[in-house]
Amino acid sequence: MPRRKTGAAIPEMFRTLIEKPGTQVYPYEKVNLPQRFRGKLDIDPAKCTGCQVCAMVCPASVITMVDFGTRKVGDRVLPVKRPVFELATCIFCGECVDNCAFNALEMTKQFELATPHKEDLVMKKALAR
Amino acid sequence: MTVTEILEAIIFPGVLFTIAMGFLFDWLDRKTAARMQGRIGPKITGPSGILQPLADFLKLLFKEEIIPSHADKVIFLFAPALYFLAPLLSMLFIPIIALTPTAGFDFDLLVILFLLAFAAFVVAVLSYSSASSFTTIATGRLVLQYVSYEIPLVLAIVTAAIYSRSLSVEGIVGSQTGLWNVFVMPFAFVVYVIALMAELEKPPFDIPSAKTEIVAGWLTEFSGRALAFLKLTKEVGYVFGAALAVSLFLGGPLGPQMGAAIPAALQYFIYFMVKLLAVGFLIFVLKTALARVKIAQATELFWKVLTPVSLAQLALVLILIQGGIPLAA
Amino acid sequence: MSVEPTQPKVREESAGLMKYSAENLVPFGPIHPALKEPEYFKLILEGERIVQVIPRIGYVHRGLEKAAETRPWVQNMYMFERTCGICSFVHSLCYGQAVEGLTIYEVPRRAKFIRLIIAEMERIHSHLLWVGLMGHWAGFETLFMWVWRDREIVLDLVEAISGNRVHKSMNAFVGVRRDMPEGMEDRIVERMKFLVDRARYYKEIIDTEETMLERTEKVGKLSQETAEKLCAVGPMARYVGLQKDVRLNDPYAAYDEVPFDIIIRNEADVHALLQLRLDELVASANMISYAVQHLPEGPIRVKIPPIIPAGEHATHCEAPRGEIFYYVKSGGGRTPERVKVRTPTLANLPVALEILKGQTIADVPIVLTAIDPCFGCMDRMSFLDTETNRQWTWSGEELRQYGINHYFPERAKK
Repeated sequence: MPRRKTGAAIPEMFRTLIEKPGTQVYPYEKVNLPQRFRGKLDIDPAKCTGCQVCAMVCPASVITMVDFGTRKVGDRVLPVKRPVFELATCIFCGECVDNCAFNALEMTKQFELATPHKEDLVMKKALAR
Repeated sequence: MTVTEILEAIIFPGVLFTIAMGFLFDWLDRKTAARMQGRIGPKITGPSGILQPLADFLKLLFKEEIIPSHADKVIFLFAPALYFLAPLLSMLFIPIIALTPTAGFDFDLLVILFLLAFAAFVVAVLSYSSASSFTTIATGRLVLQYVSYEIPLVLAIVTAAIYSRSLSVEGIVGSQTGLWNVFVMPFAFVVYVIALMAELEKPPFDIPSAKTEIVAGWLTEFSGRALAFLKLTKEVGYVFGAALAVSLFLGGPLGPQMGAAIPAALQYFIYFMVKLLAVGFLIFVLKTALARVKIAQATELFWKVLTPVSLAQLALVLILIQGGIPLAA
Repeated sequence: MSVEPTQPKVREESAGLMKYSAENLVPFGPIHPALKEPEYFKLILEGERIVQVIPRIGYVHRGLEKAAETRPWVQNMYMFERTCGICSFVHSLCYGQAVEGLTIYEVPRRAKFIRLIIAEMERIHSHLLWVGLMGHWAGFETLFMWVWRDREIVLDLVEAISGNRVHKSMNAFVGVRRDMPEGMEDRIVERMKFLVDRARYYKEIIDTEETMLERTEKVGKLSQETAEKLCAVGPMARYVGLQKDVRLNDPYAAYDEVPFDIIIRNEADVHALLQLRLDELVASANMISYAVQHLPEGPIRVKIPPIIPAGEHATHCEAPRGEIFYYVKSGGGRTPERVKVRTPTLANLPVALEILKGQTIADVPIVLTAIDPCFGCMDRMSFLDTETNRQWTWSGEELRQYGINHYFPERAKK
């Protein structure tokens, strides 16, 4: 049975006093993020084909497909759609990234997404072409 | 009362200085506790966060005051002021920049003892006046803790007074020019520090205002200006407790001569501050290193251990006096 | 089988077993500094001793079991991961295992090892968090800060592997979504060694620090018969000497291939719980080092179609807090027909109410946190009549009848 004493933590306290503190002074210091960090979504409009798989697998219903024109296939006219992302609802799971067959989606390292305007978080980048 | 004396009493080393020292102790407390725990503590307000306690005080002054419906309004609003006066007034009896204090007289140690008891009584009344279920429990704990630490505290102070043959703080300081009291009665010093931690409600004795058990103990229902002054009083009480320890046991502002070029007042001030910060640092370390004990265990400690020790120390000192150990005074 | 829609039969239980007045009643919660999540406990006192505790739960009930019935299978995986923050991986693991039991697919071996690694890292995280909290409730802020600083090590490792500190999103149906990154092996082994050293130091502090011993020794005593009668799970069963650990009794993931010791304690008090959880931390760290060094090659995932065949399946896993139990029923469609979750805190709550008897108010945060409560996981709905102070619950059938009566009043008989 180890001996009971008061102040058993004091030696370690003095050791910690001279060490560097474990606090990362966040806004004044840059944060080191690992390579796999799941931050804000980003889409490459050149690679997106509008296959709608991302909208079907998203658990949080973030992606809506909007009309983007039409295309002719044989003698049929088919609609072409592109995704619009409401990133305020995104849960950063990465299902869309994993399921995109054309590697159009990617998760960046940006995590400071707070904004007073909700429109800032609607990503319509795929509509630009 | 000359103008110098009035200014001394109000600004330095009187009221404003004591309040500033209270803020300084709060900042030092938070900073050393933080560094010992591996974090930073206050940082942004002022260089290295030194203005943080002042910022907290000012913030609380602007907040709304909410008084519970069952509470006694008169006591709720006016008693904090009474509680604030006790340690502030007692600081005037401590010699800081000279061997004579700002407002001392022959029996001021008795006045200090009365003010200590009065402060505890006001706290019990305050705690009882905010009638909610948490504060009722806190009042019980508070009174029980007071009954426990009062006797060893008074015995330790009285031991120093008996040895110095004087009932004024000035006299006790003056009698330590040969040997500091802490070398004659070390146990009294230890008992005093432990009882002081119980009086200030610092861990391991912060039972009446246990943050995680009964919300905030007797401080629960206070808000706004009353809370600001209660917190400030705790800090000033801390400064006063440490200052009394320095005066009674560590020789007050006395110390070896530092050289003729430095004025006497500055010498006394520097020695006093160094000793004050040393005692404060001792309490910071103890406070950070220990968990909170239960009220039954605290009472056991004081009644079964510290009271006999202080009585034994008193007996030892009386024997020393009878044996004719010479005093410097 | 046809059921006649009638007025549901209401089973009533009284809200308390003894009369109490307002003077010896202390309300603990729902908002209290000692509770991380809101639940209401009425403490009935005699002096400073607690005689009885009457709980009222339901403050953080979210209706996840019902919400699961309207979402596709994969989306439910993410929803159940968010039942709890600290045991999120085990929730998605258990759900995944329950659904995989309905399919014909086998989990690849490498995926099982990776699941074990992440689950054990979560266990280390949860135990470190708990030890810090015990220091906090005991007034020992220094222990709290030190332990939570070491918790960052595990969180950094988890972030490097999965991309997020809390909701790891690593599970998929039949496998894991991401592989271990290249070159992590040495870093993981070294960090685990560091954590083992720190855990040993904290054990020493808890064993020798006088004030901490006074707060945790002989507090929260439970006898073995009572623990068995109340069906305690997890560390609450193991600290009275029962050999209840799902990883040992019914191995899942890779627990039959990675050697580990089950930790049992016999002196049933909070001090023993502290020692037990820190020992489990050391065992988990050793398991992770072993698994990382013996990781088999192979695929990590088998992709399956989004329709799960009909049937029902139930599994259990060892969450950091105890045994977690999932039951899944499929009708052969894209969404489940019924998912039932039973988290360990719900099983341990009667144990908490039992060990609180006879303690003082100063012990309440320590004893209540000794079961490692996660009220967000556990919550159930109950009815409370505030005028008569009556509490009652309904069974599933009664709830269904009430729904029919409410939405189709023409089918309800008067």
